[in-house]
Amino acid sequence: MKEQEPVVFVIDDDRMIRDGLQSLIRSVGLRVETFPSAQEFLSMKRPDVPACLILDVRMPGLSGLDLQLKLRDGGIPIPIIFITGHGDIPMSVRAMKEGAHEFLTKPVRGQDLLDAVQKAIVSDRALRQERQEIGEIRGRFESLTPREIEVLNLVVAGLLNKQIADQLGMSELTVKTHRAHVMEKTQADSLAQLVRMAERLKASARK
Amino acid sequence: MPSNPETTVKREFFRYGLAIGLVFLALLASLALQGSIGNPFWFFFSAAVILSTWLGGTGPGWLAVFCSALAVTYYFTPPLRSFAVAPSEFPYFVTFIACEVGVNQLISWRRRTEDSLRQARDELEVRVTERTAELKNANDALVRQMAEQKRTEDTLQTTRAELARAARITTIGELTASIAHEVNQPLAAVVANADACVAWLSRETPDLFEARSAAERATQGATRASEVIARIRSLITKATPGKSHVHINQIIEQTILIAESQAARNHVTIALNLVPDLPVVLGDSIQLQQVILNLVMNGIEAMTSVTDRPKLLTLRSAREDKEQIRVSVQDSGIGLNEEVMSRLFEPFFTTRMQGMGMGLSISRSIIEAHGGRLWGESNGSGGATFQFTLPGGDR
Repeated sequence: MKEQEPVVFVIDDDRMIRDGLQSLIRSVGLRVETFPSAQEFLSMKRPDVPACLILDVRMPGLSGLDLQLKLRDGGIPIPIIFITGHGDIPMSVRAMKEGAHEFLTKPVRGQDLLDAVQKAIVSDRALRQERQEIGEIRGRFESLTPREIEVLNLVVAGLLNKQIADQLGMSELTVKTHRAHVMEKTQADSLAQLVRMAERLKASARK
Repeated sequence: MPSNPETTVKREFFRYGLAIGLVFLALLASLALQGSIGNPFWFFFSAAVILSTWLGGTGPGWLAVFCSALAVTYYFTPPLRSFAVAPSEFPYFVTFIACEVGVNQLISWRRRTEDSLRQARDELEVRVTERTAELKNANDALVRQMAEQKRTEDTLQTTRAELARAARITTIGELTASIAHEVNQPLAAVVANADACVAWLSRETPDLFEARSAAERATQGATRASEVIARIRSLITKATPGKSHVHINQIIEQTILIAESQAARNHVTIALNLVPDLPVVLGDSIQLQQVILNLVMNGIEAMTSVTDRPKLLTLRSAREDKEQIRVSVQDSGIGLNEEVMSRLFEPFFTTRMQGMGMGLSISRSIIEAHGGRLWGESNGSGGATFQFTLPGGDR
């Protein structure tokens, strides 16, 4: 799989700041797309690549914090770096609570911003990787029959074949067959790996 | 008139008894005097009827008439000692009865009239008393209301003054926040573009085109910041409110009233040395008051740590020359060192913990807007003197 080129989105209503940030980020070889308002960002089709969002808190129309909530509610996970001219504590606490990646005050030092961008992209890349793996695991697990899922749950709970057979009212041989199917379908090399995959699925569902 | 039944019965008994008693007395008197002065029963029985009616009322009056008629029939009309009346005596007897009835009616009528008159007078008296009380209450309420209104007006006056002060402070606060944002925005652009410029230049092969355009944008940002500041400055100059002819001594005295409590709290003595008959100044009294108050407060502040000499604040007004007046505020505080002296009028420069550092800077702008000068200097003997000149307005 070819490494996807990451993109940095910049939303700021001030053209001069937008251009400055764009130039700064481009200078380190990153792709940049700028938007004068949150609405325009939302109406654009975003490429499916690692990304991060640099967001001015105070903007006419949809504010930075509003956009953050909208993205979260819309299930669009993207790390956000907030920039504010008046970094009051309650506002930054709120933004961080909602999962903001970073909170910087204007005027932002170029290096601080670039560091934050790099970190955000690394984090997004890892998250995307994680999401992709989870998606694959889920796909495999979804091919299991209801009976196989029953067997899987008991195997993962640490029961022996004999105990599973007793509990589900089937022969030990049948349990073994189901179990082999489960291992095959989920592409698990070992019992330990199967347990790990099941745990990851559960953890992602809880989120 | 409310009364219990027992006393009512007693009184009725007394009234009717009185009627019978009076008729009896009249009979005795008539019989006693019958021989000597003809037939006096007319007079005595009439008197009995009059008194009974007068004292007892209509009922006892009627009883007296009835008893008199009986007595006269029995004792005085032939045939005597009999209740019969001879036909010849009939007109005479009827006249007597009619007379008695007439007297009874007349007296009853008089009594009733008098009673209702008395009642009316009593009622009137009660009503007058009530009205007087009402009037007194109304008067008291009015007095209270007036006192309250006075208090309200006083409070209103104080509140209005406080409001004006609060409004001024709020305006400064809002103005500051707004200025901060307006200036910070282009500065952020300058920093971002300057950083970008450096970044383009630091690449392995510097990108001069990108660096140049970033540098140009940085310049634009800086220009915009200075434009914002120029706009604010023109705003302040324009905002100088309508000027009027003011007496500087009056303004000094008013300002001292405001500062007095602060001075007292800090054990500072304020001395006034004002030259009378100074030319009037064309200016904004509120702004000038602000300047003087600011200098006075600074002076008081400068003396807080002084213990080895009296804390004395002297305000002077004087004629500077033909066309100008001068006001000075002298303290015996810590004085001004060279470093402080050189930065005295810089905005946001302050030597205090919670000072904003705008006082002297604003004061100087105000005085300059009035066509005068404001400066500060150290006293030889410790402390500092701040003074300003203003052109006289009566040229």
